[in-house]
Amino acid sequence: MISADSALSGSFDYGEVARSLLIAIAASYAALDLLGRATPARGRIRLAWLSGGAIAMGLGIWAMHFKGMMAFRLPLPVEYHWPTVLASLLVAILASAVALYIASRQKMGPVEVLTGSVILGSGLAGMHYIGMAAMRLPAITHFSPVRVACSILLAILFSAITLLLAFSLREETRWSGPRRLGSATVIGVAVSAIHYTGLAAASFTPASPPDLFHAVSISPLGNNGIVIATLTVLTAAIATSSVDRLRSEERLRLVIDTLPAMVWSKSPDGSADFLNQRFLEYTGLSVEEGLGWGWMREFHPEERAEEEWRAAFAAGEPFEREAKLRRADGVYRRFLLRAEPVRDKLGNISKWYGTSTDIEDLKRAEDELQQAQEDLARVTRVIVMGELAAAIAHEVNQPLTAIVTNGQFCLRRLEGGTSNPEELRTAITEIVNDGTRASAVISRIRDLLRKRTPNRTEIDINQIIRDVTVFLRTEFTRNRLLLRTELAADLSRVPGDPVLVQQVLINLVMNAIDAIRTSTEGRREIRIRSARNPEGVLVQVQDSGPGVEPELASHIFEPFFTTKAKGIGMGLSISHSIVESHGGRLWNTPSSIGALFEFTLPTGDAGVS
Amino acid sequence: MSEPESMVFVVDDDPSVRRGLKRLIGCVGLQVELFGSGQEFLASEHPNVPSCLVLDIRLPGISGLNLQQQLAKTNVQIPIIFISAHGDVPMTVRAMKAGAVEFLTKPFRDQDLLDAIHLALEKDRDRRQQEAELAALRERFELLSPREREVVAMVVSGMLNKQIAAQIGTSENTVKAHRSRAMEKMRASSLADLVKLIQRIQAFPSKSR
Repeated sequence: MISADSALSGSFDYGEVARSLLIAIAASYAALDLLGRATPARGRIRLAWLSGGAIAMGLGIWAMHFKGMMAFRLPLPVEYHWPTVLASLLVAILASAVALYIASRQKMGPVEVLTGSVILGSGLAGMHYIGMAAMRLPAITHFSPVRVACSILLAILFSAITLLLAFSLREETRWSGPRRLGSATVIGVAVSAIHYTGLAAASFTPASPPDLFHAVSISPLGNNGIVIATLTVLTAAIATSSVDRLRSEERLRLVIDTLPAMVWSKSPDGSADFLNQRFLEYTGLSVEEGLGWGWMREFHPEERAEEEWRAAFAAGEPFEREAKLRRADGVYRRFLLRAEPVRDKLGNISKWYGTSTDIEDLKRAEDELQQAQEDLARVTRVIVMGELAAAIAHEVNQPLTAIVTNGQFCLRRLEGGTSNPEELRTAITEIVNDGTRASAVISRIRDLLRKRTPNRTEIDINQIIRDVTVFLRTEFTRNRLLLRTELAADLSRVPGDPVLVQQVLINLVMNAIDAIRTSTEGRREIRIRSARNPEGVLVQVQDSGPGVEPELASHIFEPFFTTKAKGIGMGLSISHSIVESHGGRLWNTPSSIGALFEFTLPTGDAGVS
Repeated sequence: MSEPESMVFVVDDDPSVRRGLKRLIGCVGLQVELFGSGQEFLASEHPNVPSCLVLDIRLPGISGLNLQQQLAKTNVQIPIIFISAHGDVPMTVRAMKAGAVEFLTKPFRDQDLLDAIHLALEKDRDRRQQEAELAALRERFELLSPREREVVAMVVSGMLNKQIAAQIGTSENTVKAHRSRAMEKMRASSLADLVKLIQRIQAFPSKSR
């Protein structure tokens, strides 16, 4: 046994200790920085970033270690066996490569942490002891087994911490720079701690001069050279990474700012933390004005509904809505806003990403189309009215004729002085009845012609069928048609606009009349049925005409599709939209007799009988 | 029940209008009969008195204009007054060409309708008068022997007695005898009268033939 007294006592050069610490921190920073670039990259680029990172980190750790050795002064000349030194550098680089590889993967579970920290820890310890084995000095080196074990365990423990820190820091975020610096300090200190614990496990006893084959002494110049070379490599690595980051950030920003949409990100509660250039240009807001809840001010006052927005963000589901946004010049345009939440591993929303697309022109075109369709609908009505003008004249003139005739009769009787009160009373009663009848006809026609916004009431479909058949009565007689109605007595009322539903029925019946008008043979019959239906009420209009040709059946509901010489092809299309707007369906059923059109109108509590 | 002096038929699908027309026409002392459709009118018996038809154009089933055609085809010569809620020009022209007395647009002045009815009844009365006279003439013509008819036909065509005698191979006196017997049977006061009567029969040949 060698007594403790015989051991050589070493001293530390604290300036060197500090420099070694700095190198460790710088190496850690570079490693973390490159890890940040390697994580999202794929293929060769990822390999390049990982190798670069491993070299920078390994070199840094090794340099730290070497500086640490320099900081330890023994009262003996120390030389180094350079092949062994190179081997220790290689071990450092390999251990770093494994660590970076593990930390840059998609997932890092306990197994990866354990394996990674054992490899990295033993790598670091290995590098240390190989480095010490490179020392050539006239002394015998003794290792305390307990301290060696301690140093290895410590290395593994610190490696685990390093991996966890590196993994959590690899995402590039706003705060990644400062956080990286903090973590790099922790890791650098940890790596240094491993080194100095390992150093403390060794003691030296004077002995014969060593074999100095392949050994070199490290001059102060060489010592500084190592530092400078290492720092240069690390700086180059960090600079490369920064330039690359800036370039890719620039590319991304260019993409985001030139996208033909506003792009934004918001924190989980909905306050904005990013707004792209387009948003700022459109609204004329500065970044500061727009961030937080400032973007709310750009909504149309009627739609601001901050609570509603907060609720949408709180609900945490992807959502889209239309809103009017104020342009810098005060004009409001309609936008389609879409938001998508991004969730963290625990499922909590970490951020909202969204776009706002200008749909004003699209909307305007849509409105114009709708307006055109409404106009067409009115034109169709006018055309139907035109065809029915004769019928209307007849409808109104009949009661008027009766009124005038009865009135003239009364006058004659009175003038002739032969009046019989009973006879006059009968005639005058008829006058009153016919007056009422004429006014009912007129108000029905007025209702039909007036362009009205949908006026929803509870409608009695049988009453509508009766109204329409009365209204079209002269069409039936003129075309020598038999009308059969089968109206179910137990129908519930359905919500709807009576005039619009009337329009649908008129269109269907007029089509039926037209279908039979052109046919010369067979029965001339139109059947209108009403019935209960699981959806509500069902109305069928069937004619005895030639029917719908199967190859045309799929087109008959298209706008402007017509088989009539004078038709404009809007009747069924409009009817279809009217029925749909009532929540019902209108369809054509293949039938053995003529054409059969059916439509349903749901009751308020659809499906419940 | 005694036969009425005249008869007005009204065909209109609107019951109110029908009743009003019955009152109005009835109050000037005319007999009125009402029908809701052309078929009803065709199916009914009509008394053989001067009559006219007040007819709506737009009717269920047979339209007013079709009814007019059918009546003409079956030789029912009844004057027609059309009434319509929406008479257009082509429709009016068609009706008038087919012999309608009047085309009135509903609602019409009572006097216009009554004047038209009176005119129509007058027309029908005249026609019936002429038909009656013609029927009487034909009856008398039926009394002529074949030889007398032959001679009368040649007289009407302007042949002299001598020419007629030569034509049928007989004497002039025999021709004269045929002629005077024919004048007697036809109750013609003169030769000129005979020619007029025969020409009238020829202008309106019997329907049965």
